[in-house]
Amino acid sequence: MTNYEHDRAVDLIMRRGVEDIAARDAAWLESHLSRCADCAEYAHLAEGTGELLRSVAVTASPALVAATQARVRARAEELREHQARVFLVAVSFCIGVLSSTLSAWLWWKFGGWVAERIGLPASYVAPGILLFWLLPAIVIAVLMLAFPRPLLERSFMISLGGEREGEKR
Amino acid sequence: MVATAFSALAVMETEEAQIARGLRRRDPDLLDALIEQYQHRLLRYLLHLTGNRATAEDLFQETWLRVLEKGHLYDGRNRFVTWLMSIAHNLAIDHLRKRSPDSLDEMREPEDGAAFEPEANGPSPLDVAVARQEHEMFDAALSKVRPLFREVLVLRFQEQMKLEEIAQLVGIPVATVKTRVYRGVMALRPALKGGAQ
Repeated sequence: MTNYEHDRAVDLIMRRGVEDIAARDAAWLESHLSRCADCAEYAHLAEGTGELLRSVAVTASPALVAATQARVRARAEELREHQARVFLVAVSFCIGVLSSTLSAWLWWKFGGWVAERIGLPASYVAPGILLFWLLPAIVIAVLMLAFPRPLLERSFMISLGGEREGEKR
Repeated sequence: MVATAFSALAVMETEEAQIARGLRRRDPDLLDALIEQYQHRLLRYLLHLTGNRATAEDLFQETWLRVLEKGHLYDGRNRFVTWLMSIAHNLAIDHLRKRSPDSLDEMREPEDGAAFEPEANGPSPLDVAVARQEHEMFDAALSKVRPLFREVLVLRFQEQMKLEEIAQLVGIPVATVKTRVYRGVMALRPALKGGAQ
């Protein structure tokens, strides 16, 4: 007998019982097992392993199942809330971008109109409006660069929030 | 017969597709039902893989949380159980690697041993005692089998999975699955022969 035959027999032994094997293959396997003691022993061992493994009773306790279901539900709720927050932030961002673009355009037009009225050249008006538009962001950026720690530290932000709450009271 | 097979396939596809849709929506009722349906199979697999009930129960919960979080990745083309087990497999491997980074062979935990309750399968007390002894011998032998082999034995013989499904689940070639099944069975030979005597 060749190695190929033994390999084929082992493959069929592993597959039978779970997968459909052709009647011709099943007949060939039976014939091979009747002639090959090693493969027959392997088939017997595989059958015994399967029987013993299937007879092992492992059950999940109802408490474990209930605890898992509760954890999954709580996490699903968390994820849903997180998703809603992300959606709100995304919508706010889009509205912010739209409104700032629109207002920038309006200011630009307004500046042009004022410049036309008072007779100023556009080369003065355009940088002026740009500076006016960017100034708050520039000031905040400079402040953050100058005082990086207190402005960025969480404790500072929290204390700021606490003070504000205290002021309200 | 062919028509029956086709209709069974169609039902399976529908079920898997429904599960995929539900998981994308993170439907809590569907998840409750799935936990109920697969509770024993999943715990049994994890218990065999880790050899420790407490660890298996922790991983059981983690697996379902991962199913919830990664549910959108399940496309419904394969059986849900294969996908579920692959999540459990990855979590268990991560857990065991953390405990023993060098080798998965060293991952049996101290309280290993009589983790499995054998079913009473004989009418007389003597039969029950003999069956229990056989199971104990088998469990002891199984606990000594390398986890890599034990895992494929459980998936093949207990969970009745196809070799290709096991290969997909564990992330190894089918030829490797066959080698592991073969060597796993051969590693149990002394216990099986002892039990047969």
